[in-house]
Amino acid sequence: MSENMEERLLDLLCKRAVSGLNEKETQELDELERSVGSPVDLQSLELTAAAISTAGVRPDDKLPDHLKAGIVKKADDFFNEQKAASSNAHPVVVEPAAPSRSIWGWLGWAAAALASIALIANIWITNSRAPQIAGPGATPTPTPEQLAPTQMRDKFMASARDMVKAELGKGNMPDIAAAGDVVWSDSMQEGYVRVSGVPKNDKNAYTYQLWIFDETQDPKTPIDGGTFDVNEDGEVVIPIDARLKTRNPKAFAITMEKPGGVVVSKQEKVPAMAQVKLNQG
Amino acid sequence: MALAVLQRIADGDQNAVQECLNSYGGLVWSLARRMLRNQDDAEDAVQEIFLDIWRNAAKFDPALASETTFVAMIARRRLIDKIRFTQRRISADSLEDVLNEPAGSSEKDLQVQVEGREAFRVLNELRPEQRQVLQLSIIHGLSHQEIADTTGMPLGTVKTHARRGLLQARELFGFGEQRSTKEVTA
Repeated sequence: MSENMEERLLDLLCKRAVSGLNEKETQELDELERSVGSPVDLQSLELTAAAISTAGVRPDDKLPDHLKAGIVKKADDFFNEQKAASSNAHPVVVEPAAPSRSIWGWLGWAAAALASIALIANIWITNSRAPQIAGPGATPTPTPEQLAPTQMRDKFMASARDMVKAELGKGNMPDIAAAGDVVWSDSMQEGYVRVSGVPKNDKNAYTYQLWIFDETQDPKTPIDGGTFDVNEDGEVVIPIDARLKTRNPKAFAITMEKPGGVVVSKQEKVPAMAQVKLNQG
Repeated sequence: MALAVLQRIADGDQNAVQECLNSYGGLVWSLARRMLRNQDDAEDAVQEIFLDIWRNAAKFDPALASETTFVAMIARRRLIDKIRFTQRRISADSLEDVLNEPAGSSEKDLQVQVEGREAFRVLNELRPEQRQVLQLSIIHGLSHQEIADTTGMPLGTVKTHARRGLLQARELFGFGEQRSTKEVTA
Protein backbone atom coordinates (compact mmCIF):
# COMPACT_ATOMS: atom_id res chain seq x y z
CA MET A 1 0.00 0.00 0.00
CA SER A 2 1.37 3.40 -0.87
CA GLU A 3 1.80 5.92 1.90
CA ASN A 4 -0.75 8.23 0.32
CA MET A 5 -3.33 5.47 0.07
CA GLU A 6 -2.79 4.46 3.69
CA GLU A 7 -3.11 8.03 4.85
CA ARG A 8 -6.29 8.49 2.85
CA LEU A 9 -7.68 5.24 4.22
CA LEU A 10 -6.89 6.30 7.78
CA ASP A 11 -8.41 9.73 7.12
CA LEU A 12 -11.64 8.12 5.99
CA LEU A 13 -11.76 5.61 8.84
CA CYS A 14 -11.14 8.36 11.40
CA LYS A 15 -13.69 10.65 9.80
CA ARG A 16 -16.23 7.87 9.78
CA ALA A 17 -15.70 7.29 13.49
CA VAL A 18 -15.74 10.97 14.40
CA SER A 19 -18.35 12.58 12.17
CA GLY A 20 -19.50 10.05 9.59
CA LEU A 21 -18.99 9.87 5.83
CA ASN A 22 -21.11 10.94 2.91
CA GLU A 23 -22.02 8.44 0.23
CA LYS A 24 -19.10 9.30 -2.02
CA GLU A 25 -16.62 8.95 0.83
CA THR A 26 -18.18 5.67 1.89
CA GLN A 27 -17.70 4.29 -1.61
CA GLU A 28 -14.12 5.50 -1.64
CA LEU A 29 -13.47 3.83 1.71
CA ASP A 30 -14.99 0.60 0.50
CA GLU A 31 -12.87 0.62 -2.64
CA LEU A 32 -9.69 1.37 -0.72
CA GLU A 33 -10.41 -1.43 1.71
CA ARG A 34 -11.10 -3.79 -1.17
CA SER A 35 -7.77 -3.04 -2.75
CA VAL A 36 -5.43 -2.60 0.20
CA GLY A 37 -7.21 -3.85 3.32
CA SER A 38 -7.81 -1.97 6.54
CA PRO A 39 -4.84 -1.02 8.73
CA VAL A 40 -6.99 -0.44 11.82
CA ASP A 41 -10.25 -1.72 13.19
CA LEU A 42 -13.05 0.82 12.68
CA GLN A 43 -14.81 -0.14 15.87
CA SER A 44 -11.72 0.63 17.94
CA LEU A 45 -11.83 4.16 16.49
CA GLU A 46 -15.55 4.47 17.23
CA LEU A 47 -14.94 3.37 20.80
CA THR A 48 -12.13 5.89 21.10
CA ALA A 49 -14.38 8.70 19.89
CA ALA A 50 -17.12 7.51 22.25
CA ALA A 51 -14.73 7.46 25.20
CA ILE A 52 -13.54 10.99 24.39
CA SER A 53 -17.12 12.19 24.11
CA THR A 54 -17.67 11.45 27.80
CA ALA A 55 -15.34 14.33 28.61
CA GLY A 56 -18.10 16.72 27.60
CA VAL A 57 -20.61 15.38 30.11
CA ARG A 58 -21.28 17.35 33.26
CA PRO A 59 -22.88 16.16 36.48
CA ASP A 60 -25.78 18.54 35.94
CA ASP A 61 -26.63 17.00 32.56
CA LYS A 62 -29.89 15.30 33.52
CA LEU A 63 -32.50 13.84 31.28
CA PRO A 64 -35.66 16.02 31.50
CA ASP A 65 -38.47 14.30 33.39
CA HIS A 66 -40.98 14.54 30.55
CA LEU A 67 -38.49 12.94 28.19
CA LYS A 68 -37.71 10.19 30.68
CA ALA A 69 -41.42 9.47 31.01
CA GLY A 70 -41.76 9.24 27.24
CA ILE A 71 -38.86 6.80 27.03
CA VAL A 72 -40.33 4.64 29.78
CA LYS A 73 -43.55 4.50 27.76
CA LYS A 74 -41.60 3.47 24.68
CA ALA A 75 -39.92 0.82 26.79
CA ASP A 76 -43.35 -0.62 27.57
CA ASP A 77 -44.09 -0.85 23.87
CA PHE A 78 -40.67 -2.29 23.13
CA PHE A 79 -40.80 -5.04 25.73
CA ASN A 80 -44.41 -5.89 24.90
CA GLU A 81 -43.40 -6.24 21.27
CA GLN A 82 -40.50 -8.46 22.26
CA LYS A 83 -42.78 -10.64 24.34
CA ALA A 84 -45.33 -10.86 21.55
CA ALA A 85 -42.64 -11.81 19.06
CA SER A 86 -41.32 -14.58 21.26
CA SER A 87 -44.79 -16.01 21.86
CA ASN A 88 -45.98 -15.68 18.28
CA ALA A 89 -44.53 -18.83 16.78
CA HIS A 90 -45.45 -19.50 13.18
CA PRO A 91 -43.87 -22.35 11.26
CA VAL A 92 -42.68 -21.01 7.96
CA VAL A 93 -42.76 -22.92 4.71
CA VAL A 94 -39.82 -22.12 2.55
CA GLU A 95 -38.70 -23.01 -0.92
CA PRO A 96 -35.36 -22.98 -2.72
CA ALA A 97 -34.58 -19.74 -4.45
CA ALA A 98 -34.39 -19.57 -8.22
CA PRO A 99 -31.39 -18.01 -9.95
CA SER A 100 -31.87 -14.62 -11.47
CA ARG A 101 -29.90 -12.28 -13.68
CA SER A 102 -30.06 -9.56 -11.05
CA ILE A 103 -29.81 -11.25 -7.69
CA TRP A 104 -30.36 -8.17 -5.57
CA GLY A 105 -33.19 -7.12 -7.83
CA TRP A 106 -34.88 -10.47 -7.44
CA LEU A 107 -34.39 -10.52 -3.70
CA GLY A 108 -35.46 -6.92 -3.48
CA TRP A 109 -38.64 -7.65 -5.39
CA ALA A 110 -39.36 -10.65 -3.22
CA ALA A 111 -38.81 -8.66 -0.08
CA ALA A 112 -40.83 -5.72 -1.31
CA ALA A 113 -43.68 -7.99 -2.31
CA LEU A 114 -43.88 -9.44 1.14
CA ALA A 115 -43.63 -6.31 3.21
CA SER A 116 -43.21 -2.62 3.01
CA ILE A 117 -39.49 -2.03 3.25
CA ALA A 118 -38.56 1.17 5.02
CA LEU A 119 -35.99 3.32 3.27
CA ILE A 120 -33.11 4.11 5.56
CA ALA A 121 -31.30 7.03 4.08
CA ASN A 122 -28.14 6.73 6.04
CA ILE A 123 -27.61 3.00 6.02
CA TRP A 124 -24.13 3.60 4.67
CA ILE A 125 -23.24 5.36 7.84
CA THR A 126 -24.87 3.02 10.30
CA ASN A 127 -23.34 -0.06 8.75
CA SER A 128 -20.03 -1.11 10.20
CA ARG A 129 -17.24 -3.34 9.11
CA ALA A 130 -18.07 -6.98 8.81
CA PRO A 131 -17.07 -9.16 11.74
CA GLN A 132 -15.40 -12.49 11.32
CA ILE A 133 -17.56 -15.38 12.35
CA ALA A 134 -16.28 -18.87 12.26
CA GLY A 135 -17.67 -22.09 10.90
CA PRO A 136 -16.32 -25.59 11.30
CA GLY A 137 -12.90 -25.76 9.80
CA ALA A 138 -12.33 -22.07 10.38
CA THR A 139 -11.10 -20.78 13.71
CA PRO A 140 -13.99 -21.47 16.04
CA THR A 141 -15.10 -18.72 18.39
CA PRO A 142 -15.72 -20.54 21.67
CA THR A 143 -19.02 -19.88 23.36
CA PRO A 144 -19.32 -19.79 27.12
CA GLU A 145 -20.59 -23.34 26.94
CA GLN A 146 -17.93 -24.34 24.39
CA LEU A 147 -20.54 -25.65 21.98
CA ALA A 148 -19.70 -26.34 18.37
CA PRO A 149 -21.79 -24.42 15.81
CA THR A 150 -23.75 -27.57 15.01
CA GLN A 151 -24.58 -27.99 18.70
CA MET A 152 -25.47 -24.32 18.98
CA ARG A 153 -27.81 -24.72 16.04
CA ASP A 154 -29.41 -27.80 17.58
CA LYS A 155 -29.96 -25.98 20.82
CA PHE A 156 -31.38 -23.01 18.94
CA MET A 157 -33.73 -25.23 16.93
CA ALA A 158 -35.05 -26.73 20.14
CA SER A 159 -35.67 -23.40 21.86
CA ALA A 160 -36.61 -20.87 19.15
CA ARG A 161 -40.33 -20.26 19.22
CA ASP A 162 -40.57 -17.87 16.29
CA MET A 163 -38.09 -19.53 13.97
CA VAL A 164 -38.04 -18.77 10.26
CA LYS A 165 -36.42 -21.37 8.04
CA ALA A 166 -35.45 -20.90 4.39
CA GLU A 167 -33.83 -23.43 2.11
CA LEU A 168 -30.70 -22.41 0.28
CA GLY A 169 -30.51 -22.83 -3.47
CA LYS A 170 -28.23 -21.78 -6.28
CA GLY A 171 -27.25 -18.19 -6.79
CA ASN A 172 -25.78 -16.70 -9.95
CA MET A 173 -22.86 -19.13 -10.16
CA PRO A 174 -24.08 -22.17 -12.12
CA ASP A 175 -21.03 -24.26 -11.23
CA ILE A 176 -21.78 -24.08 -7.52
CA ALA A 177 -24.55 -26.39 -6.37
CA ALA A 178 -25.18 -24.87 -2.97
CA ALA A 179 -27.67 -26.52 -0.67
CA GLY A 180 -28.71 -26.19 2.95
CA ASP A 181 -30.85 -23.81 4.93
CA VAL A 182 -30.97 -20.66 7.00
CA VAL A 183 -32.80 -20.46 10.31
CA TRP A 184 -33.49 -17.27 12.20
CA SER A 185 -35.40 -16.05 15.27
CA ASP A 186 -36.41 -12.40 15.62
CA SER A 187 -36.98 -12.64 19.34
CA MET A 188 -33.58 -14.23 19.96
CA GLN A 189 -31.82 -12.23 17.23
CA GLU A 190 -29.97 -15.44 16.50
CA GLY A 191 -29.73 -17.73 13.53
CA TYR A 192 -27.57 -20.18 11.61
CA VAL A 193 -26.60 -20.97 8.06
CA ARG A 194 -26.12 -24.62 7.19
CA VAL A 195 -24.58 -24.95 3.76
CA SER A 196 -22.92 -27.55 1.59
CA GLY A 197 -21.69 -27.53 -1.97
CA VAL A 198 -19.75 -24.28 -1.76
CA PRO A 199 -16.03 -24.60 -2.46
CA LYS A 200 -13.35 -24.24 0.18
CA ASN A 201 -11.96 -20.72 0.10
CA ASP A 202 -8.47 -19.33 0.40
CA LYS A 203 -9.15 -16.81 3.16
CA ASN A 204 -6.35 -14.61 1.87
CA ALA A 205 -8.10 -14.37 -1.48
CA TYR A 206 -11.78 -14.12 -0.61
CA THR A 207 -14.37 -14.90 2.03
CA TYR A 208 -18.06 -15.68 2.13
CA GLN A 209 -20.51 -13.12 3.45
CA LEU A 210 -24.16 -13.49 4.42
CA TRP A 211 -26.81 -10.85 3.67
CA ILE A 212 -30.25 -10.60 5.26
CA PHE A 213 -33.22 -8.95 3.53
CA ASP A 214 -35.75 -7.90 6.13
CA GLU A 215 -38.58 -5.43 6.54
CA THR A 216 -36.48 -2.74 8.15
CA GLN A 217 -33.97 -2.16 5.38
CA ASP A 218 -33.96 -1.05 1.77
CA PRO A 219 -33.41 -4.19 -0.34
CA LYS A 220 -30.49 -2.42 -1.99
CA THR A 221 -28.70 -2.36 1.34
CA PRO A 222 -29.48 -5.62 3.11
CA ILE A 223 -28.18 -6.34 6.58
CA ASP A 224 -24.67 -7.71 6.84
CA GLY A 225 -24.92 -11.15 8.45
CA GLY A 226 -21.18 -11.66 8.92
CA THR A 227 -18.37 -13.34 7.03
CA PHE A 228 -17.18 -16.92 7.18
CA ASP A 229 -14.63 -19.25 5.65
CA VAL A 230 -15.12 -22.79 4.42
CA ASN A 231 -12.05 -24.86 5.13
CA GLU A 232 -13.39 -28.34 4.59
CA ASP A 233 -15.66 -30.23 2.26
CA GLY A 234 -19.17 -31.16 3.19
CA GLU A 235 -21.70 -29.34 5.31
CA VAL A 236 -20.73 -26.39 7.48
CA VAL A 237 -22.79 -24.54 10.06
CA ILE A 238 -22.18 -20.86 10.66
CA PRO A 239 -23.72 -18.65 13.37
CA ILE A 240 -25.26 -15.52 11.87
CA ASP A 241 -23.89 -12.26 13.22
CA ALA A 242 -26.46 -9.68 12.12
CA ARG A 243 -24.97 -6.20 12.26
CA LEU A 244 -28.35 -4.56 12.75
CA LYS A 245 -31.54 -5.46 14.51
CA THR A 246 -33.29 -7.83 12.12
CA ARG A 247 -37.05 -8.10 11.81
CA ASN A 248 -39.09 -10.49 9.74
CA PRO A 249 -36.42 -11.58 7.25
CA LYS A 250 -37.72 -12.37 3.78
CA ALA A 251 -34.62 -13.61 2.00
CA PHE A 252 -30.95 -14.42 2.50
CA ALA A 253 -27.95 -14.44 0.16
CA ILE A 254 -24.33 -15.57 0.39
CA THR A 255 -21.77 -13.64 -1.62
CA MET A 256 -18.03 -13.98 -2.21
CA GLU A 257 -16.15 -10.91 -1.05
CA LYS A 258 -12.68 -9.67 -0.28
CA PRO A 259 -11.12 -10.90 2.99
CA GLY A 260 -12.84 -9.23 5.91
CA GLY A 261 -16.04 -8.64 3.98
CA VAL A 262 -17.57 -5.43 2.63
CA VAL A 263 -20.13 -2.89 3.74
CA VAL A 264 -22.10 -3.02 0.51
CA SER A 265 -21.79 -5.94 -1.88
CA LYS A 266 -21.41 -5.52 -5.60
CA GLN A 267 -23.29 -8.85 -5.83
CA GLU A 268 -20.94 -10.09 -8.53
CA LYS A 269 -20.54 -13.57 -7.08
CA VAL A 270 -23.56 -15.02 -5.32
CA PRO A 271 -23.10 -18.75 -4.79
CA ALA A 272 -26.30 -19.27 -2.78
CA MET A 273 -29.54 -17.60 -1.81
CA ALA A 274 -32.84 -18.39 -0.15
CA GLN A 275 -36.32 -16.92 -0.08
CA VAL A 276 -38.97 -17.26 2.58
CA LYS A 277 -42.16 -18.50 0.95
CA LEU A 278 -45.14 -16.16 0.74
CA ASN A 279 -47.86 -18.24 2.40
CA GLN A 280 -47.12 -18.73 6.05
CA GLY A 281 -48.58 -21.22 8.39
CA MET B 1 -23.42 -2.81 39.30
CA ALA B 2 -23.56 -0.82 36.10
CA LEU B 3 -22.39 -3.82 34.11
CA ALA B 4 -25.56 -5.64 34.99
CA VAL B 5 -27.94 -3.11 33.47
CA LEU B 6 -27.56 -3.94 29.81
CA GLN B 7 -27.43 -7.64 30.55
CA ARG B 8 -30.70 -7.39 32.46
CA ILE B 9 -32.30 -5.48 29.61
CA ALA B 10 -31.05 -8.07 27.17
CA ASP B 11 -32.68 -10.69 29.36
CA GLY B 12 -36.00 -8.87 29.09
CA ASP B 13 -35.98 -7.34 32.57
CA GLN B 14 -38.04 -4.21 32.07
CA ASN B 15 -37.26 -3.05 35.59
CA ALA B 16 -33.72 -2.35 34.42
CA VAL B 17 -34.97 0.39 32.09
CA GLN B 18 -35.27 2.93 34.86
CA GLU B 19 -31.80 2.10 36.10
CA CYS B 20 -30.47 2.43 32.59
CA LEU B 21 -32.09 5.85 32.25
CA ASN B 22 -30.72 6.95 35.62
CA SER B 23 -27.23 5.74 34.74
CA TYR B 24 -27.00 6.90 31.13
CA GLY B 25 -29.80 9.41 30.60
CA GLY B 26 -27.52 12.33 31.39
CA LEU B 27 -24.78 11.03 29.12
CA VAL B 28 -27.09 10.50 26.16
CA TRP B 29 -28.90 13.79 26.71
CA SER B 30 -25.60 15.65 26.92
CA LEU B 31 -24.29 14.09 23.72
CA ALA B 32 -27.52 14.82 21.86
CA ARG B 33 -27.68 18.45 22.95
CA ARG B 34 -24.05 19.10 22.17
CA MET B 35 -24.07 17.47 18.77
CA LEU B 36 -27.50 18.54 17.53
CA ARG B 37 -27.80 21.92 19.25
CA ASN B 38 -31.56 21.85 18.91
CA GLN B 39 -33.90 20.88 21.72
CA ASP B 40 -36.56 19.19 19.57
CA ASP B 41 -34.04 17.24 17.53
CA ALA B 42 -32.19 16.24 20.69
CA GLU B 43 -35.39 14.96 22.32
CA ASP B 44 -36.29 12.89 19.26
CA ALA B 45 -32.76 11.53 19.06
CA VAL B 46 -32.59 10.52 22.71
CA GLN B 47 -35.72 8.40 22.39
CA GLU B 48 -34.32 6.68 19.31
CA ILE B 49 -30.98 6.13 21.02
CA PHE B 50 -32.50 4.33 23.97
CA LEU B 51 -34.39 2.05 21.62
CA ASP B 52 -31.07 1.33 19.90
CA ILE B 53 -29.49 0.60 23.28
CA TRP B 54 -32.17 -1.89 24.26
CA ARG B 55 -32.04 -3.60 20.89
CA ASN B 56 -28.29 -3.97 21.14
CA ALA B 57 -27.95 -4.63 24.84
CA ALA B 58 -27.11 -8.28 24.27
CA LYS B 59 -24.12 -7.31 22.17
CA PHE B 60 -22.37 -5.41 24.92
CA ASP B 61 -19.06 -7.07 25.69
CA PRO B 62 -17.24 -5.81 28.82
CA ALA B 63 -14.01 -7.22 27.43
CA LEU B 64 -14.09 -4.64 24.63
CA ALA B 65 -15.17 -1.47 26.42
CA SER B 66 -17.00 -0.13 29.45
CA GLU B 67 -20.77 0.06 29.44
CA THR B 68 -20.54 3.86 29.38
CA THR B 69 -18.38 3.79 26.25
CA PHE B 70 -20.69 1.26 24.61
CA VAL B 71 -23.71 3.46 25.29
CA ALA B 72 -21.85 6.53 24.04
CA MET B 73 -20.84 4.70 20.86
CA ILE B 74 -24.42 3.72 20.08
CA ALA B 75 -25.59 7.24 20.83
CA ARG B 76 -22.95 8.80 18.61
CA ARG B 77 -23.78 6.52 15.71
CA ARG B 78 -27.40 7.65 15.83
CA LEU B 79 -26.46 11.30 16.25
CA ILE B 80 -23.98 11.22 13.38
CA ASP B 81 -26.73 9.72 11.24
CA LYS B 82 -29.08 12.51 12.14
CA ILE B 83 -26.52 15.21 11.52
CA ARG B 84 -25.65 13.83 8.12
CA PHE B 85 -29.27 13.26 7.22
CA THR B 86 -30.43 16.73 8.12
CA GLN B 87 -27.15 18.46 7.36
CA ARG B 88 -27.84 20.33 10.55
CA ARG B 89 -24.82 22.22 11.71
CA ILE B 90 -23.94 24.39 14.60
CA SER B 91 -24.61 28.10 14.15
CA ALA B 92 -21.91 30.74 14.09
CA ASP B 93 -23.19 32.17 17.37
CA SER B 94 -23.07 28.87 19.17
CA LEU B 95 -19.63 28.22 17.70
CA GLU B 96 -18.39 31.21 19.57
CA ASP B 97 -19.93 29.84 22.74
CA VAL B 98 -18.16 26.56 22.20
CA LEU B 99 -14.76 28.13 21.68
CA ASN B 100 -15.13 30.40 24.68
CA GLU B 101 -16.30 27.62 26.95
CA PRO B 102 -13.99 27.40 29.96
CA ALA B 103 -12.42 23.98 29.76
CA GLY B 104 -11.33 24.14 33.37
CA SER B 105 -14.85 24.28 34.71
CA SER B 106 -15.84 21.22 32.75
CA GLU B 107 -12.93 19.29 34.10
CA LYS B 108 -13.67 20.39 37.64
CA ASP B 109 -17.29 19.35 37.29
CA LEU B 110 -16.21 15.93 36.16
CA GLN B 111 -14.20 15.01 39.23
CA VAL B 112 -16.70 12.38 40.22
CA GLN B 113 -17.09 10.96 36.76
CA VAL B 114 -14.44 8.36 36.27
CA GLU B 115 -14.89 7.97 32.55
CA GLY B 116 -14.88 11.68 31.94
CA ARG B 117 -11.71 12.07 33.97
CA GLU B 118 -10.05 9.31 32.02
CA ALA B 119 -11.05 11.02 28.79
CA PHE B 120 -9.54 14.27 30.00
CA ARG B 121 -6.37 12.45 31.02
CA VAL B 122 -6.03 11.00 27.53
CA LEU B 123 -6.84 14.30 25.84
CA ASN B 124 -4.22 16.03 27.94
CA GLU B 125 -1.58 13.62 26.70
CA LEU B 126 -2.19 14.69 23.11
CA ARG B 127 -0.58 17.63 21.38
CA PRO B 128 -2.60 20.84 21.98
CA GLU B 129 -3.67 21.11 18.34
CA GLN B 130 -4.78 17.47 18.27
CA ARG B 131 -6.68 17.94 21.50
CA GLN B 132 -8.42 21.04 20.18
CA VAL B 133 -9.48 19.36 16.95
CA LEU B 134 -10.78 16.27 18.73
CA GLN B 135 -12.66 18.31 21.32
CA LEU B 136 -14.32 20.42 18.66
CA SER B 137 -15.21 17.48 16.46
CA ILE B 138 -16.14 14.80 18.99
CA ILE B 139 -17.43 16.75 21.95
CA HIS B 140 -19.01 19.63 20.06
CA GLY B 141 -19.90 17.95 16.78
CA LEU B 142 -18.15 20.34 14.38
CA SER B 143 -17.15 19.21 10.92
CA HIS B 144 -13.56 19.40 9.76
CA GLN B 145 -14.46 22.33 7.53
CA GLU B 146 -16.11 24.16 10.40
CA ILE B 147 -13.05 23.60 12.56
CA ALA B 148 -10.84 24.92 9.77
CA ASP B 149 -13.07 27.97 9.32
CA THR B 150 -13.20 28.66 13.02
CA THR B 151 -9.60 28.08 14.03
CA GLY B 152 -7.91 29.26 10.85
CA MET B 153 -6.10 25.96 10.42
CA PRO B 154 -5.86 24.67 6.83
CA LEU B 155 -8.38 21.89 6.21
CA GLY B 156 -5.61 19.37 5.54
CA THR B 157 -4.00 20.22 8.86
CA VAL B 158 -7.29 19.70 10.67
CA LYS B 159 -7.63 16.26 9.07
CA THR B 160 -4.08 15.36 10.01
CA HIS B 161 -4.57 16.42 13.63
CA ALA B 162 -7.85 14.51 13.79
CA ARG B 163 -6.31 11.35 12.39
CA ARG B 164 -3.13 11.39 14.43
CA GLY B 165 -4.91 12.46 17.58
CA LEU B 166 -7.57 9.78 17.30
CA LEU B 167 -5.02 7.06 16.59
CA GLN B 168 -2.91 8.11 19.54
CA ALA B 169 -5.94 8.31 21.80
CA ARG B 170 -6.93 4.83 20.64
CA GLU B 171 -3.62 3.51 21.88
CA LEU B 172 -3.84 5.44 25.14
CA PHE B 173 -7.31 4.05 25.85
CA GLY B 174 -6.08 0.58 24.96
CA PHE B 175 -8.63 -0.02 22.21
CA GLY B 176 -5.87 -0.61 19.70
CA GLU B 177 -4.88 -3.77 21.49
CA GLN B 178 -8.29 -5.36 21.05
CA ARG B 179 -9.05 -6.92 17.73
CA SER B 180 -11.81 -9.17 18.81
CA THR B 181 -14.00 -11.25 16.57
CA LYS B 182 -16.98 -10.09 18.61
CA GLU B 183 -17.76 -6.60 17.48
CA VAL B 184 -20.36 -4.37 19.02
CA THR B 185 -22.97 -3.23 16.58
CA ALA B 186 -25.67 -0.67 16.70
